[in-house]
Amino acid sequence: MNTKIPAFILFGLLALRALAATAPAYDFFVCANINRNYVIGSKIVTTNGIFQRDTVGEWQHLGYNDTGISALAFDPRDRNVIYTTGLNGLWRSFDGGKLWRICNDWTMTEARDVAVDPHAPDHVYLALPDGVAFSSDRAQTLVRRENGLPARGKYTQVLQIDRTRTGRVLVGCELGVYLTEDAAIHWRQVLPTKEMVFDIQQSPHDPLVWVAVTQSAGAWRSIDGGLSWKLLAAVPTTHPLYNISFDVTNVQRLAIGSWGLGALTSEDGGQTWTERNAGLPAPHRVWRVGVDPAGQLYASVVAATLFVSSDFGRTWKPDSLAGSVVNKFLIQPKSAH
Amino acid sequence: MKRAFISFLFFFSSALFVAAQPAFEGPPPSLVPVLDPVKRRAEYLARVKEVINWAADGGQAKTDDPAKLDLAMIAAKIVLKEDLHGCSQRVINLMSEPGTGPFWMFPTVCIAYLGRDHLTPEALASIRTAWRTTRQLRGDTENHWAMYYISLYLMAELYPNEPAESWYSGKTSAENLAEARSYLIHWMDLATTVGQGEFNPTHYIGEYVIPLQFLANWAKDPEMKKRGAMMLDWLFAELAANSLNGVLRGPNSRTDEGSAIERWQAMASYFSWLLFGNTPSTAGYGGWGLYFAPLAANYEVPEVIYRIATDRTGDFLQRDRARVRRFWRYSNELSPPVYKTNYLRRDYAVGSTRGGLMDVIQAHVWDVTWAEADPRGKHNTMFSLHPFSSMWAMQSMFVTHPEPMIKGVTFEGKPSYDSPDKIMGSSPYERVCQDLDTVIALYDIPADTRFPHINGFFSKDLVNISEDPSGWIFAQGGQTYLAYRPLAPYHWEKYLHHSSGWAKVRRDLGGRLLVSPHLKNGTIVQAASVSEFKDFAAFKAAINALPLAFRLDPTPSVQFTSLRGKKLSFTYDQVPTVDSRPIDYSKWKLFEGPYLNSELNTRKLTITHGKLERVLDFNTLTVTDRVK
Repeated sequence: MNTKIPAFILFGLLALRALAATAPAYDFFVCANINRNYVIGSKIVTTNGIFQRDTVGEWQHLGYNDTGISALAFDPRDRNVIYTTGLNGLWRSFDGGKLWRICNDWTMTEARDVAVDPHAPDHVYLALPDGVAFSSDRAQTLVRRENGLPARGKYTQVLQIDRTRTGRVLVGCELGVYLTEDAAIHWRQVLPTKEMVFDIQQSPHDPLVWVAVTQSAGAWRSIDGGLSWKLLAAVPTTHPLYNISFDVTNVQRLAIGSWGLGALTSEDGGQTWTERNAGLPAPHRVWRVGVDPAGQLYASVVAATLFVSSDFGRTWKPDSLAGSVVNKFLIQPKSAH
Repeated sequence: MKRAFISFLFFFSSALFVAAQPAFEGPPPSLVPVLDPVKRRAEYLARVKEVINWAADGGQAKTDDPAKLDLAMIAAKIVLKEDLHGCSQRVINLMSEPGTGPFWMFPTVCIAYLGRDHLTPEALASIRTAWRTTRQLRGDTENHWAMYYISLYLMAELYPNEPAESWYSGKTSAENLAEARSYLIHWMDLATTVGQGEFNPTHYIGEYVIPLQFLANWAKDPEMKKRGAMMLDWLFAELAANSLNGVLRGPNSRTDEGSAIERWQAMASYFSWLLFGNTPSTAGYGGWGLYFAPLAANYEVPEVIYRIATDRTGDFLQRDRARVRRFWRYSNELSPPVYKTNYLRRDYAVGSTRGGLMDVIQAHVWDVTWAEADPRGKHNTMFSLHPFSSMWAMQSMFVTHPEPMIKGVTFEGKPSYDSPDKIMGSSPYERVCQDLDTVIALYDIPADTRFPHINGFFSKDLVNISEDPSGWIFAQGGQTYLAYRPLAPYHWEKYLHHSSGWAKVRRDLGGRLLVSPHLKNGTIVQAASVSEFKDFAAFKAAINALPLAFRLDPTPSVQFTSLRGKKLSFTYDQVPTVDSRPIDYSKWKLFEGPYLNSELNTRKLTITHGKLERVLDFNTLTVTDRVK
């Protein structure tokens, strides 16, 4: 998993190259649960689910009022085609969120993540507590594709599609990071772990750079497209790391959300990290962090609310989704639709 | 017998005038079985009528104002054809704010079917509309899915040939029907081959039998109708065989703090009362139990099941299998088997699993429960446990980050989960061996475990508790003598009860906990009937004379000759032996005993009482009764 080229050098070179490119425009979404005390059977008394940040900084609700949405994805050809995951599995809308269909049957449940291949937009990947499912027809039909995943230990929390190559996907499982390069027909382990891999992200600045965060094994970086991984030594391994987010506006900036460490940020491409919890409620339990297209940092704090920082964590203020827990931040290239 | 029947009817007919809930507030029912089928049926129907009348009169709301009724009360009014216009208006009102998930779905199915010929078209349409507009969550437990898919199945049959956009699921009626049918058959296959994951639940029995009752009555497909009826018999036969005078005792896949100690305080008691008439009903007829009543008259309680519940001629041993709720993570098996031992006598019952991790929050692994003439308010049980609380265990079964979960579940009706003095839950560090009325529970607890001790529950209703110099603790509960042998030093703490549900209040109900803060530990319990001994002293002497040797280091191990003359040898994490023969769990059947028998993987249950026999065969979907 180690590379012969010092990571920080390569990372810096790649960052410079990326900075030279024209920054694309993005939209920003969250999956937010505001009805925190909801349990099966109780009435939903607040508006939950997908929210999009509009041009004036307000959150606009989209689709069903659902407390349990864990992830969402869009068809890159058509923003009206939306996929969400939750307790029932995978939901899909073709009309911008008015009508939805549960795409799976009872053999799949409690989906954790969903992704659409940008180069094969009919291809949809689904992360499940017991593996991975694949669709070649916009989730009209779903099939298991788990060849190479372990029989036990394939709990899949997250999946990320390599935006540069069709059918190249990395998933975070109970026993590590797994890679497919043929649309999930075959998988192979590229990073072993003893406990969960909670998040994997591909750098928006350089597609070769990936970062994974784990339950008990710290944070890992790959600079060769996920083939090999190296521990980010400056990130503590003492606490669970729930997610990782890149800043699309600044190649040097990354953030991690952690139970116990709160919000961690790096402004040197991951070489050093700082706890940025001043102004966040204690104890420091950040469910997820996200960075919006303007470079504002968000932290969803457990049992509190969503906070936003315009100085990358140095100061925080509560955001408008009062009482929310955010399960997913999603930044998407802006759609013409 | 006739006198008993007349007294029984008199009690109910008179009690109706003096008590809002005679079955709950009145004297306990007679335990004499009613052998005359006509009388038995009449009494059953009288109980059904009591529930319906109470619900129609406003139930807990104590009002019959339709504007304040819930769907259970409306269901009762529809059965009685009372104020149907008001009911229609109330349904429309309730459907304007639909709930989400199976606990909302099955009550609306109940109204949709019961109300077909009675409610206004607008009221029925309001239900149908809610099934289009509001996303229904399937839940994440076996009982959730049973409710969800039976409800979806029945609604899809009620509204066939309707397009995908008319359903919350975005699937056509045919697609919904096919998926629901597929799951229900799969679930029944599992339950009838390797057992339920939620076996012998004290409360969740209602979440199965109520929708199954709907399926048995309302399914158009004769196969599904038959399956529903057969599963009802299957689950009620299990209830009959596992209850003591109508009270379901341990082990239980899922229970709560209330019924773990007050064994009668469970929805299962409502069903025992309704079906068998052998215990008082719980308050409010079990709450959800109200939804069983509207169709209950259509259910004929099979005599063989009734007799198992009420007419036992002697002691019996029942050994069954079930399975553990699925482990998503951190387990080599998705749903490992559970091995249950149950030994029931007139005065008490002893039940156990082999220990280990089952349901992480609500399992109850073993107990001795004694009979009480009136079980209401009685804490008629004794057991010990390791109070296990673990994020890792939570994570193994639930699909969220583990860290917030411990606090989270305490807000979801399981307030004691992270309490060191809790009396509910399984532990990976407990191993249990049972032979007849002897239980040996051994503990080997890692030092870094959150709560490094074991709790033994000593009820307020025990009498003559004495700590013998021999190390045994003797006590009497009802007509049962109990000997409890802690294997490590202990101290006593007041037991403070976590009220179940969402309440966070803790109450001193009079019990005590034997707390033993030693990692390598154990409990031996031997039960016996009072009638077996001249007096309490004779029981003590008999116990003290039993050969007992044990060690705790390096691994807890016990050699004990039981009161029944069996030489038990049990070492933590090893197969126990009885009279030098290892217990061969691999040969255990799905059910094996005098009343219930089923080979593994056969989908066939033989229910027997005396000469009566009923065979439920899910391979052929046949029910065969015969008199041997």
